[in-house]
Amino acid sequence: MSELLGTLSVAASGMEAQSMRLRYISENIANADTPGYHRKTAPFEAVVDGGTPTGRVALGDVELDPSDLTRIYDPGNPMANADGYYDGSNVDMIVEIADAREAQRSYEANLKLFDQARQMSQGLLDLLRK
Amino acid sequence: MFDQPKVLGMASALSANASARLTAIAQNVANADTPGYRARDAQSFQDSYRAASGPPMRATRPGHQAGFAGQTLNAVSERADGHMSPNGNNVSLEGEMLSAAGVRKDHDLALTIYRSSLGLLRTSLGRR
Repeated sequence: MSELLGTLSVAASGMEAQSMRLRYISENIANADTPGYHRKTAPFEAVVDGGTPTGRVALGDVELDPSDLTRIYDPGNPMANADGYYDGSNVDMIVEIADAREAQRSYEANLKLFDQARQMSQGLLDLLRK
Repeated sequence: MFDQPKVLGMASALSANASARLTAIAQNVANADTPGYRARDAQSFQDSYRAASGPPMRATRPGHQAGFAGQTLNAVSERADGHMSPNGNNVSLEGEMLSAAGVRKDHDLALTIYRSSLGLLRTSLGRR
């Protein structure tokens, strides 16, 4: 029974990490047209407690994608340089949407296991009835 | 006379093994996107049961069954096979879902056996 409760907390940590990831993805998409914006990424890290892996997962510190910003040609823009270019963001919509889909898929897998662990512990408790 | 019937011990060991396996699966799924994570597997019930039974008892007739010590050890080990993705992670969500379905089947089986054995005991006591 305590194993199943541990399963619940592991699956919940997975769901939390995936939803944080989706949050960063939505920040990136919202700022796709912000000049000078670097897309945010956060690595997944296995949680280690006192040297032993707990099996839970968490998002690490946010990192900024160091790749080059796109150069946009717009001479009329106040930020344009002498050649008429200014720096946009380095957000690639296709990458972000693909990431969002992956986050959703992993979230659903975690949710399914959470539900299964809940139903299994419910089945154990049902033995005590009557 | 008041010994717990062996079948109840087996059923509870199977259910404990299903829980341990589900925990390993949940850890794999939670870490499906963690770079460098290696998928883990808990021991199958067959293996843990055989290990807990100790040296096999002498079976002089085909109908004899091996004894059962009671407690099983559900060891967790890293899985060797599986497709390794470029970030060093070998978790396959589809494979984990498949294992989860097997775990649910085993757990339901254990609960059904437990319940029906209890029913037998109750019947023998003259209750309904």
